[in-house]
Amino acid sequence: MAVGVAARPTVPRADTAPAVEATGLGRRYGEVWALEEASFRLERGQFLTVLGPSGSGKSTLLKLIAGFERPDRGHVRLFGAEVDAVPPHRRPIGMVFQRLALFPHMTAAGNVAFPLEMRRFDPREIPARVERFLKLVRLEGLGGRRPHELSGGQQQRVAIARALVFEPELLLLDEPLASLDVRLKEEMQLEFRRIQRELGVTTINVTHDQREALVLSDRVIVMAGGRILQEGDPETVWRDPAHPFVARFLGVGTMLRGRAEAGPVLRIGERLLPGRAPNPATAPRPGQPAVAALRAERVRIAPADGADGDGTRLAERLAGRVEDAVFEGERVLYELSVPELAGLRLRAIDRDPGGHARYRPGAPVSVQWSPDDLLLFDASLETGSDP
Amino acid sequence: MRQLPLAGGVALALLLLLAAPSLVVAGASLTAGGIVQFPPEGLSLRWYGRVLEAREVRDAFLRSLEVATVCTALAVPSGTLAAIALARWRFRAALAIQLYLLLPFTVPLIGSGIGLMLLFGELGLLGRVWPVGIACCVINLPFMIWAVAASVNALDPELERAAASCGAGPVQTFLLVTLPAVAPGILAGALVMFVLALNEFLVSLLLVDARTVTLPVQIYTQIRAVITPDLAAVSTVYVLVAAAAVLLLDRLVGLEIFLRSR
Ligand SMILES: Nc1ncnc2c1ncn2[C@@H]1O[C@H](COP(=O)(O)OP(=O)(O)OP(=O)(O)O)[C@@H](O)[C@H]1O
Ligand SMILES: [Mg+2]
Repeated sequence: MAVGVAARPTVPRADTAPAVEATGLGRRYGEVWALEEASFRLERGQFLTVLGPSGSGKSTLLKLIAGFERPDRGHVRLFGAEVDAVPPHRRPIGMVFQRLALFPHMTAAGNVAFPLEMRRFDPREIPARVERFLKLVRLEGLGGRRPHELSGGQQQRVAIARALVFEPELLLLDEPLASLDVRLKEEMQLEFRRIQRELGVTTINVTHDQREALVLSDRVIVMAGGRILQEGDPETVWRDPAHPFVARFLGVGTMLRGRAEAGPVLRIGERLLPGRAPNPATAPRPGQPAVAALRAERVRIAPADGADGDGTRLAERLAGRVEDAVFEGERVLYELSVPELAGLRLRAIDRDPGGHARYRPGAPVSVQWSPDDLLLFDASLETGSDP
Repeated sequence: MRQLPLAGGVALALLLLLAAPSLVVAGASLTAGGIVQFPPEGLSLRWYGRVLEAREVRDAFLRSLEVATVCTALAVPSGTLAAIALARWRFRAALAIQLYLLLPFTVPLIGSGIGLMLLFGELGLLGRVWPVGIACCVINLPFMIWAVAASVNALDPELERAAASCGAGPVQTFLLVTLPAVAPGILAGALVMFVLALNEFLVSLLLVDARTVTLPVQIYTQIRAVITPDLAAVSTVYVLVAAAAVLLLDRLVGLEIFLRSR
């Protein structure tokens, strides 16, 4: 990076330290802790997505990292240096805001040049650099336009270029894609991924879109009620949710309630359903109330009188009835009632195109799944930190 | 759709009613005769020529310009900072200040005018021109604050955070981002303050003496002597100046800024 000393932010670095290290971070508004306790590490060059419902404290976490607000407890270290006393404009951070916050009185190029001017880059170097980053976000030739003369997606790109142009060491994204329509959103997600790989900048992305989290990230943090419920890589979080809320938020399907027995097994009435506890810390204790998440896409449906569809070992086989069948194009979403499980409604997803609309509402079916796909948790967690 | 002609008719009637005084005075100013009357008696611009020749009128106009300039020059910085402070920070005096902002509508001008007359008399400032500018600024400042506050309230607070994340310190952020973003409000407020001060009558009447009358006072004095059509001509010039200011405002920042104030 051909950048003068003055241009580099003032945070000294230990080269092996993680990019971000939060310890016991908390922030309170009045009596309410918007962020109760957040501790995590993010290695350099990684793409982290913070996933959580509205009000879970995601933006608060970003504000503390960016330095817009001071933590009421805990500390942030950036690249090994304590930054609690460093004001936001001296942190090595670029940020894309939820409402973009482009400067309305400047052109697109003016917006992108602004951080370079503020960070005292060599004025002779600025035009070329602006040009290069406008090109990176595919806005060549549009630099002369004002923000209001650009489309939503183009404004988005200006905001990205402005956040990246001074080659920050950390990029923060606060739901910048939330307001876009689905197609543009998916396009911009891939764009983020491409640019992030190209520049190798450590990134924290905030969203409540679970798909976006899975698509983009090296690491995922799931938050609820101001706490971190799980941290891991996307596949692990998807496969082994550590908390019933994580399972539900990732759109698992159906939550079943009963009592736990050793095995682990979920008992509902007289029925014993073998399952699996993905995380020892949140596993139910035998005899105690338990909650289980059943993946909708792993529930098999067969005709009521038929044999198993394939050779896999399917432990359970329950009699049910189709209550509703929603055709969604690439899949059909079924709602099934299962009298034996106290009339519980199960969700099942059928992705077999040939099988679309095979079962009509009212049809009797048999329902099966593998014990691997029934995830058991301690039921007291649900009331504990339910957002 | 059926009501449309009716609504249009009512609107037209109202517009005519609002415009009537200006139209009448403009018509009267074009008379070729020697007395103010409407409709005019023949058409001519001779009374406009008379106005240009009349020294007292010209001097009074220049004094009014001075008053308006002093008023605007004071109102822009103080009103802008006050509006930003009011919109941004909650403090204990906020309610009192909200009340103050209603003053122009509630306290009769003659009241504020007498107060200022006593104060300026004490300070020995009566009979000079520039103190009238200060007086106009004091009395009309709420209009300035409203105009700027409308812009500040429409300002996205993320804009200033964005500036910080670009590396701009607090002073740079204020000068390079906040001020330009509220510039439309400042401009609108400045124009309003200028026109109000240019037209200000009652307070000037109390603060000036015979040698330092402003234009509205000059017109008033002349009315009390003989009413000649040159007064109608001066009034018409006034209306045109005000109209020009409104047009300028619309061209520069758009009038919707006033519709946005809360
Ligand atoms: N300035 C503030 N004053 C008072 N409460 C606040 C403030 N900012 C946030 N909160 C509260 O703190 C909690 C967390 O807010 P935060 O903005 O971090 O949520 P979020 O996860 O970003 O939500 P969203 O997805 O809706 O943006 C919320 O309950 C919110 O109401
Ligand atoms: Mg948020």
